[in-house]
Amino acid sequence: NTIADEAKMLKGLEIFNETAACAGCHTMKAAGAEGNVGPNLDTVAGLTVESVIDMVTHGLGVMPAYGEEEILTPEEIEIVSTYVVNSAGK
Amino acid sequence: MRIKEKKLNLNRRNFLASTASIAGLAATASVVPISISNANHKDGEKGLPEFISWKDRNALIVHSDKGIETHRSAIGESLITPNRNVYIRNNMPTMTDDQIGNRNDWKVSIEGVKNPKTFTLAQLKKLGHTTMATILQCSGNGRGFFEHKVRGSQWKTGAAACVFWTGVPMKAVVEACGGANASAVFMTSAGVDHEPTGLDPKKAMVERSVPKVAFKDAMLAWEMNGVPLPNAHGGPLRMVTPGYFGINNVKHLGRVAFTEKESSVKYMKKSYRISPIGKKGSQYPSCWEMPVKSWITRPTDETGTVRAGKVQIVGVAMGGTKKVRSVKVSVDGGKSWKRAKFIGPDLGKYAWRQFAFEANLKSGTYNIASLASNGSKKQPELRMENRRGYAHNGWKDHSVNITVV
Repeated sequence: NTIADEAKMLKGLEIFNETAACAGCHTMKAAGAEGNVGPNLDTVAGLTVESVIDMVTHGLGVMPAYGEEEILTPEEIEIVSTYVVNSAGK
Repeated sequence: MRIKEKKLNLNRRNFLASTASIAGLAATASVVPISISNANHKDGEKGLPEFISWKDRNALIVHSDKGIETHRSAIGESLITPNRNVYIRNNMPTMTDDQIGNRNDWKVSIEGVKNPKTFTLAQLKKLGHTTMATILQCSGNGRGFFEHKVRGSQWKTGAAACVFWTGVPMKAVVEACGGANASAVFMTSAGVDHEPTGLDPKKAMVERSVPKVAFKDAMLAWEMNGVPLPNAHGGPLRMVTPGYFGINNVKHLGRVAFTEKESSVKYMKKSYRISPIGKKGSQYPSCWEMPVKSWITRPTDETGTVRAGKVQIVGVAMGGTKKVRSVKVSVDGGKSWKRAKFIGPDLGKYAWRQFAFEANLKSGTYNIASLASNGSKKQPELRMENRRGYAHNGWKDHSVNITVV
């Protein structure tokens, strides 16, 4: 299970920094990300996997709707959201 | 799900080692190409981001580094909200001094007028001078009361402030350009704060159209509460559209155009539309005029228990685009109402009024509420349900529970 979890986190990191380029707009120390368009994810209060999935799927303001626009698959969205919730603030 | 930080960091280093940089990575990504602007968002002292390290941390609730709310009891008991307490809600990164350069050389172009012109800030200062108090309120102020899960900062009452602006009346600017085009229907203002990000202007530019008539009371402001307009609040120049929600008060202003059509950017067409839950689109009303609203600032659950006896219930009331006419207060959850007194100076219809109501309360628990009217409209009891949690002015959600001992 731990190996599966680690693999998921690494996949999440890859989506965060590369596939979805979240790092271009967000700061998150754990990912080495220093973007400054959207909120610094290390500072966002009350992140849950559910709320991040919702945000990534539907977007907000300049943030693309990764789900609605089919930029990411629902599976990728779940992976990157899990990664963010377990990495933000660390 | 637990993963050792060491392991992750190791993998991160490997991951990054195979690429030039984060910026390099982003440049190869298809979704959001971006050049990272000068970072001013690193943690500063006091747990506030660097670009607002001058603010009063104790007055603020940090939802994120870009969504910072004023505590209910800290919006200013002397009517005006001090700059150090004013909320932060920025769609684009705050521009840095380096990006802004010499403030007097800041340029704004005026289009859709008889003689289109570009003015520097120094030139604007020669065209006219005025000071006005207005309410700055985020469209989503009160979103935190909605029960459906709404994306965005969960503001309660503190994405609002009443401040003095100093600048030039938009009317004087328009006159200096020979008048607005008769065919224009909107005044469209655009910020330039998206430029350093390198993002697609259609998606990132904060460009907002308001009905043309709004220009008559609008101003281009370079001072806020007596100091040069802070970068974090849109300095060195900001459009102020009195009575309209915050988003229309465009920061880091670069262009004002009188247009026949609404702006086609995402922040106009898609965002800030008041649509039913589950629906969206540009056919729904934009967040423009603010509705009549009030709320109690003291006592609240933040101010602790209240001693039995005489209690001063104080708060603020606004009329939206009309003057606020009356405020009633209830100490029994809205079963009965009594008229409160307006106190302090009247700074015009676009500022809020302070109110006070003296109640004699015995020990117990109370639900206290306020209800404002602008003569033609009063606050509804309930919120207007909508997808994005905008424009909440229902009195019930804004009521507070207090304990008297």
